[in-house]
Amino acid sequence: MNRFIYYLILVNMFANIVSTAPKVLLRHTTDGAIPAMVLGLIAGLLYTQVFIKFFNHFPGQNLPELLKSYTPKWYYYPTLSFFIIMWYLAGTLTLVTFTFMLATFLTPEMAIITMIIPYLMIISYGILMKSKNLLYATEVIFLLFLPIPFLTFSKAYFSSHLNWDVVKVAMMHSNTLPNFSSFTASFFTFAGISNLVIFNQYFTKKMKFGLKQVLIVGSISFIALFTTYFMPIGFSGFEHISSLLYPWISTTDSVRMKFGLIERLVFIFLLYFVVIAILSMTIHWHVSARLIQSIFHSNKLKVKNIDLIPFIIIIIFSSIAIFFSLTMTEYNLYKFASVVYNIMPLFFSLFLITMWLIMRGAKHEKS
Amino acid sequence: MGKRTDGEPKPPAYMNELAQKLDSSFDVAQVPLVIKGKEAHLFYLKTVVDSDKLQSIIIKPFFELATITHFEAYLNSLPNKTEIPPTEELLIELTRGFLLVAIQNKFIFLELRKVHTDTVQETLMESTIHGPQFAFSEDLSTNLNIIRQNYHGTSLAMNTYQLNDRSNRMVAILYDEASVNKNVLRIIKKKIRALKVPLIQSSGDLGVFLTRRKYTLFPTTILSERPDRIIYNITGGKVIIMVDGSPQSIIAPVTFFDYMVSMEDNYHTYWVSLFGTLLGYFGLFTCLLLPSIYVVVTSYNPEIMRTELALTVTGSRIGVPYTSFIEVLFMLVFMELLTEASIRLPKAVSATATTVGGLILGTAATEAALASNIMIILVAAVAISTFVIPINELSFSLRISRLLLILFTSLFGLNGLIVGFLFLIMLLTNKESFGEPYFKFFHMPKKDEKKVTNE
Repeated sequence: MNRFIYYLILVNMFANIVSTAPKVLLRHTTDGAIPAMVLGLIAGLLYTQVFIKFFNHFPGQNLPELLKSYTPKWYYYPTLSFFIIMWYLAGTLTLVTFTFMLATFLTPEMAIITMIIPYLMIISYGILMKSKNLLYATEVIFLLFLPIPFLTFSKAYFSSHLNWDVVKVAMMHSNTLPNFSSFTASFFTFAGISNLVIFNQYFTKKMKFGLKQVLIVGSISFIALFTTYFMPIGFSGFEHISSLLYPWISTTDSVRMKFGLIERLVFIFLLYFVVIAILSMTIHWHVSARLIQSIFHSNKLKVKNIDLIPFIIIIIFSSIAIFFSLTMTEYNLYKFASVVYNIMPLFFSLFLITMWLIMRGAKHEKS
Repeated sequence: MGKRTDGEPKPPAYMNELAQKLDSSFDVAQVPLVIKGKEAHLFYLKTVVDSDKLQSIIIKPFFELATITHFEAYLNSLPNKTEIPPTEELLIELTRGFLLVAIQNKFIFLELRKVHTDTVQETLMESTIHGPQFAFSEDLSTNLNIIRQNYHGTSLAMNTYQLNDRSNRMVAILYDEASVNKNVLRIIKKKIRALKVPLIQSSGDLGVFLTRRKYTLFPTTILSERPDRIIYNITGGKVIIMVDGSPQSIIAPVTFFDYMVSMEDNYHTYWVSLFGTLLGYFGLFTCLLLPSIYVVVTSYNPEIMRTELALTVTGSRIGVPYTSFIEVLFMLVFMELLTEASIRLPKAVSATATTVGGLILGTAATEAALASNIMIILVAAVAISTFVIPINELSFSLRISRLLLILFTSLFGLNGLIVGFLFLIMLLTNKESFGEPYFKFFHMPKKDEKKVTNE
């Protein structure tokens, strides 16, 4: 499998694992988070499998092209619009979540608007970039910062403050019925593969998603989910873990690097989180913008051969994001995240229908 | 051959025509050679033709050889004889040091150039301890000779072009036929032919004109003066462009990592060269990030550092009357001025500049409480690490990127630093050098790469 697909999956996974996913998971410690995670893992791998299988039939083509050539107009406009909104919301969710998180932990005195402007600037540049170059940038940034999660995880796992007994207590609650929102939250960590809808145009070779690849992705996501769920419990206890607003920040803040230049691990971790979140947001908004561009393209909106549509998209995206970040509260944000997560199954089924329609259309064309 | 009247030889009509076209040049020479039934006419520009060679190769044999047919046969056998080009080109060739000989209505065109720039210079910009110590000269044919003498592969291709600007310089494109990237070669040839600029003086400005975008920060070609780097890159399938009159050659296409390679790395053992490379990258990060990190840890998030360190940094700033970013900008600007001054100044004065500058950036600034002690160390570290980067085109760009990062950090704190840094990475990855990706990891062999992503 192409290495860029791993990055797409992993960036999304890592971004979610520190933001809202643990919050949702840890709310349901006693009523079904663990089985939901197991189910989410299996469903996520299945989802990845189906996605790659589907796009293997159409190497080098992106979804808008496929929709246009194989499905009727009344179907593809609403579907694409739905996808656009989903991708935009996914990016915005990350943006608002981590603006709030940084406002709490890093720069409490700074105005939200001052915090959000640099992010909007870099995401806007990401929208203007060529999709292929965005993949390269993802690779460079992802690999450049990869030592940090290793450091954080190993520091956390080998910390003497980690209480494995509490973790065992938490494990006792595995024989419950799975909880729906926990399931969608853990399922959402696999959503990164969906970005293929645009990026598939650069993958002209057939992708293999056999046992080896399933094991790689599966084991990474297992470790990630395990860590994201059990580490906060191990550090902060089982009873009142659900009342923590940002369980992962509190967890990493419990780890101290005795001899480091930076003593509190949380700052290194926050740094990594900012980087990954920026990547994830950029990719989501980029895909959303490209989907919009596949619907609207006119020669009238051009000045000196420069297409104005991306700039209009940037302005609209940014204004909505600024509005969200200024009006939302932490509670609203949690609700908003749950809504986005809970739409995921709908999104997935719509995708299945779309895939089926396209496959049928393609078969018709052949015969 | 003109008609003979009164024994006075007349130059052929074509030569008169040429003389008219070169009317404004004082150094046009039309010399008739006449002796006992033998007659020839020479046409050249005095200032560019080697008169010693002219004397020994052309004039002496004319008087020694028995008949004019002998002389003609002799001229035709000379190694520096070339085909006669059309008039327009012929005029340019004449200004280059060519000689036109007319014998009995026949013309022979010979090269008798006098060049004063063909001495090979020592390496100035990219010096190494090991490896060749001599660079190129400022004469194209000497440089081509150096390349040929270093690279005896038969697949080495050399194409020369004449630029369409006012200087009509010769440009040579060199590559290894077997390993060159065909697409890049096509783009480069097309661009050189399509160049429409009034004047090109050296490889430096040719390199700038070859990049498509006007407003760009990072260079997309490397200028190198080292023959070993050129050979190394030819072997790697890159295209070399050489300009007459310029001791540097252009290497294209390049990736960002090419700027971080010192030729020294090839002449050492594995660990030594790895250490050198790592030092280079450490220097890259230091000179780029250190000033901004200082702004972050003094003005925005001192709690990031361990307590003792934070206290030391803050303690050292006691008495400094302004915010950290003004302090950083103040010191950096003076450092940049000092660097710029020592590049521009005549060698005799530059010692004074460094002494005076050392005073400004040294303890005096601290004692006057205009900058903290740590700031002085930091500026020195930044300056040194800027010079560690092997190709200084990159370090020039980094000097500006550094200011950009400071701006971002001053406005947005740690967020700004991270965003600014990622922005630089994205800026680099979004660049292309002659159709090839500029900044990306894992440059795989060409075949594999095409499978991964092809447009």
